[in-house]
Amino acid sequence: MDKALYIGMSGAKQNMLAQRAHANNLANVSTTGFKKDFAQARSMAVFGEHHPTRAYAMTERPGSDLSAGALMETGRKLDVALEGEGWLAIQNDRGEEVFTRTGSLQIDVNGLMRLPGGELVLGNGGPVALPPFDNVQIGADGTVSVVPVGGAPDELVEVDRLKLVNPPSDALEKGLDGFMRRKPDQAIDGVEPPDANLRVATGFLESSNVNAVEEMISNLQLSRQYEMQVKVMTTANENSEAAARLLQNL
Amino acid sequence: MHPALWVSKTGLSAQDTNMSTISNNLANVNTTGFKRDRAVFQDLLYQINRQPGGLSTQNSELPSGLQLGTGVRVVGTAKQFSQGNLQVTEQPLDMAVNGRGFLQVQLPDGQIAYTRDGQFQLNADGDVVNPDGYALEPAITVPENATNITIGKDGTVSAVTDDQSAPVNLGQITLVDFINPQGLQAIGNNLFKATNASGDPAEGEPGLAGLGTIEQGSVEASNVEVVEELVNMITTQRAYEMNSKVVSTTDQMLQFITNNIG
Repeated sequence: MDKALYIGMSGAKQNMLAQRAHANNLANVSTTGFKKDFAQARSMAVFGEHHPTRAYAMTERPGSDLSAGALMETGRKLDVALEGEGWLAIQNDRGEEVFTRTGSLQIDVNGLMRLPGGELVLGNGGPVALPPFDNVQIGADGTVSVVPVGGAPDELVEVDRLKLVNPPSDALEKGLDGFMRRKPDQAIDGVEPPDANLRVATGFLESSNVNAVEEMISNLQLSRQYEMQVKVMTTANENSEAAARLLQNL
Repeated sequence: MHPALWVSKTGLSAQDTNMSTISNNLANVNTTGFKRDRAVFQDLLYQINRQPGGLSTQNSELPSGLQLGTGVRVVGTAKQFSQGNLQVTEQPLDMAVNGRGFLQVQLPDGQIAYTRDGQFQLNADGDVVNPDGYALEPAITVPENATNITIGKDGTVSAVTDDQSAPVNLGQITLVDFINPQGLQAIGNNLFKATNASGDPAEGEPGLAGLGTIEQGSVEASNVEVVEELVNMITTQRAYEMNSKVVSTTDQMLQFITNNIG
């Protein structure tokens, strides 16, 4: 029995994993601020006391595509999208500082600014907390101002400033919660410093950067590749059947 | 089974929920005081299939691992409390809130519900009630011989009666506001209930402390934007079709292996 059967089998399995990565991208085609994941195959040679003829393929995620999605106009005062580079710093439920491009901000009952999933939005010194207000406004540099309850419309009081950060793209990776963070080997001392040059557009959200057509094509291509791997498996099976027939006739 | 099936299933159900939200918005395009919803999407957690930095041999490590997502979910719907257009109806008991704040009505079980729908009428006892018959809170009762009810911008209700030349003050309508209106629970009939997320109602006189004024003889139209909803419908439909294409492709792969290996 030729061991090519196992190579075909592992190839088919790795194709399925790559397809799942593309299916996840496509499932998130409407998720605001989503960054699509790359999937690539790496050849893994098998070393040992034998003739080096075996190389298995292995699917892996080298990183995520950090390019910006299109800006969608929502008109909501608390929707912010980053213009160009940068990330919004937020605090996830484990208390870690992570980065996102999803800017659908909400104010909870205690005046804390949160993302729809409940993550706290960070400002100059910890989470952004707003006093009771009649009106709220977010400026182009991320400054959050409010008209306090009962104040005149022109009495804007500056409360805090959204923490906008700009770590180098190659230092970032997507964590298991879907938010970006620094890779362990790219960590810096202390917290990520804010970058004063970043700009936000209010009343906009950034759409997912998934190209639906590309993901569908990848999926179809992988599906044909999978069929080829299955073909290798059936051929290996036929070969061993032929060998068995020859041995029967001896 | 093939994991892409379950991932695409989450995509299909999220787009399905989105379509329900859009159709509900469109269905309520002429509902007075209606506030449109928007479905909020979020990616689900990721699983580590191969740890980045894991050792592939004793002295070499994997440069990048394999972390696969598990799909998408609709994390919630966000009501958009932007102001709808004011439509003049000339009905004396129609009122629109111009600015922040909600009118209050008393439910049959005694609880208070909040609304932006200001179409009020009189019942047989002369009480001011909403179209479902729930009394406005604070209660206003109009005497039988009253003509020409006037509601001021600050919520003062007065009427002229047959036997008096000066108008009679019938009461004062108050408005309430919430720190987080998005946290209100919509209970249908254009009504909302307070929740832990919305905070407690802060009652006040219309026109003061940031509350809007009351405009007699107008109602607030729905804030649904038809064009936006139709565009969202198109994108939702196409995203749904693409996710279902992944499901059928995956199904064909499973069919292929069943037919060829065996």
